[in-house]
Parts: sequence; C-alpha cells; structure tokens
Amino acid sequence: MNARILIIDDSGFARRSLRQVLEGAGHTVEEAKDGHEALERYFLAKPDLVLLDMVMEGMNGMEVLTKLRELDKEARVIVATADIQASTKAEAQAGGARGFITKPFDREQVLKAVSTVLTGGMTWN
Amino acid sequence: MELTSRHREALTELINIGYGRAASALSELTGRRIILDVPKVDVFPVEHVGKALSKVLRGDVASVHQVFSGPLAGNALLLLDQEAAMLLNALLLDQPVGSRLDAAGREALIEVGNIVLNACLGVFGNLLQVQVTFAVPSLHLESVTGVLGSISVQEEELQYALMVHTRFRLKDSNVSGYLVIVLGITSFSRLLHELDHWETRQLSR
Repeated sequence: MNARILIIDDSGFARRSLRQVLEGAGHTVEEAKDGHEALERYFLAKPDLVLLDMVMEGMNGMEVLTKLRELDKEARVIVATADIQASTKAEAQAGGARGFITKPFDREQVLKAVSTVLTGGMTWN
Repeated sequence: MELTSRHREALTELINIGYGRAASALSELTGRRIILDVPKVDVFPVEHVGKALSKVLRGDVASVHQVFSGPLAGNALLLLDQEAAMLLNALLLDQPVGSRLDAAGREALIEVGNIVLNACLGVFGNLLQVQVTFAVPSLHLESVTGVLGSISVQEEELQYALMVHTRFRLKDSNVSGYLVIVLGITSFSRLLHELDHWETRQLSR
C-alpha cells in the first residue's frame, strides 16, 4: 500500500533519512519542522499516517499528538523519537498514538511499523 | 562530598549500561565499531568542572548540549574535537571528510548528539524508574571554556556537580569524543536515593 505520510521533526537530518526510506518504498512524503506547520500540513495534505518526533521547540510532540487527535479522532500517528524511556512510550500510547519507534531508525523497523499501522494495527516494540 | 564505594559501584554499573547503549546507537549511525573507555565518575565543586573538562579536551570542540529535567536534572554533553566532528560528519552524510561544517553537517551532528545522549539518559530513566524530560539539543563550536558557559546548575543548589565522563573512539581511527553528564547537588542526592532502590530491585529478582 502506497500512502501519504507526514513527517514531523525539527531535525532536517531526521526528516531526510525518513524521506529516503519512505519514498524508496513508494510512499509520498510531506514534511513539517514544527508543531504549527504540522497542524497546517495535516489538514492541507490529509496524510494517511504521521511520524511524529517528541522533542521540538514550541509545541512538543505530545502537544501536537493531542491537538491532532482532538481535530481528527482517526489520525494515525507513530511516535518516532530518540527518547527510549518506557514512560515516554506509555505517554504516547495513552495519548492515542498507534506506534512507537526509536532512533536511530533502521529501514526495516520504519517500514514494518508504517505497514502495521496503515493496515489497522499497532506497533509498540 | 564523597561517593560511598557502594554508590560508586552502582553508579558505574548504571553508566556502563547507559553509555553502552549510547555507543551502540553511535555505532549504528556510523557503521563503525565504537570503543569505550571505562567511565570516570567524579564529584567536583561546580567551578572546577571547567578545569576537569580542559584536562581531557583541548582546543575548540564541537559540543552537542542537552539540558534535561525532572527528578534528575542537569546537562548532558557530547564533546568532539574538530577531527572527530569532521569524521563523524563525513560518515553520517556519506561524503569525504571536509574541513568545515556546513548547515547539513551541523544538523547531522545535532541529531547524532540527540540520539546518543537520549540513549544514555533514557537508560538511566528506565532503570531508575524516573521520567527524564529533554530539552531541544544545541550545537556549539567553541573552546571548552565557552562550552561551560552553557552549563547551568540551579543557583539555589549547593555548589557541587557530579561529572560522569568517558572517552569513546571510532575503531580504526584516532578520533575520539567524550560523553559528559553534569548534575547539581539536588539531583545528585536524588540519584543516590534511586540507585539504592535500583540495587534493591536488582537483588530481589
């Protein structure tokens, strides 16, 4: 399944890495570098899935997740973060994310998580 | 202010696990084996942190600095001498080693620092069962003295800092870097308290 995926991360390096993986697998990619841009892009681009970083200037990832879910209850979000703490994962799950992947990403991990969530599943490994 | 031998042992074990995770992340990013020295743990008056860092790093350094807060609060730094910064940049961006960092290079280093520091501190958070909150990391290219200007310890805290540092090397190269964590005394006390709990949990498994 080829999907439209929105990457929300303040790191251009992280966005480029993910774009390379996702476009390589045939997906269409949109990017946002902060929370405000993310919300705007989400409603303009109507992505099938969001990959969301947690630590960003201004609105942090949890705030963006909360806002997205308020505005679109069906929003499919995978948190993609360097923060490996179990408590962060639990917070993301409680906030309505459908998956959690940690940096550094590898191609298989990202594509498997994306595929799982796009087909209605969740991924918390 | 002294660490008991028991606390030193528990802290060393915690750091080994955290820094090991950080090295693993760095190895994945660079495709190179990372060799870690045995971490050193010291307690200093805050004003001596600079002198301690200057002993291990000379000249200008690239530092990725991440402030963390929560029950444990302080500063985490990934410090690279210039040669290490250029090599790391080249490995990350898959290009020849250059002589200066451009915007893409700076972004890459910040992200690497973010991942490596999170890997280490996240392990602390998980093992000690405390939530550590991270601020956005920043990159500085300056002398060690300049780096220290960005390290903050709450003024109301007593004037001691716990400094944990280790040197890491990329295998088959001479370049190296340092991971440094500085905690103020309040967090240091909390850390010792949580180390006791961690040890109790470990022993009861």
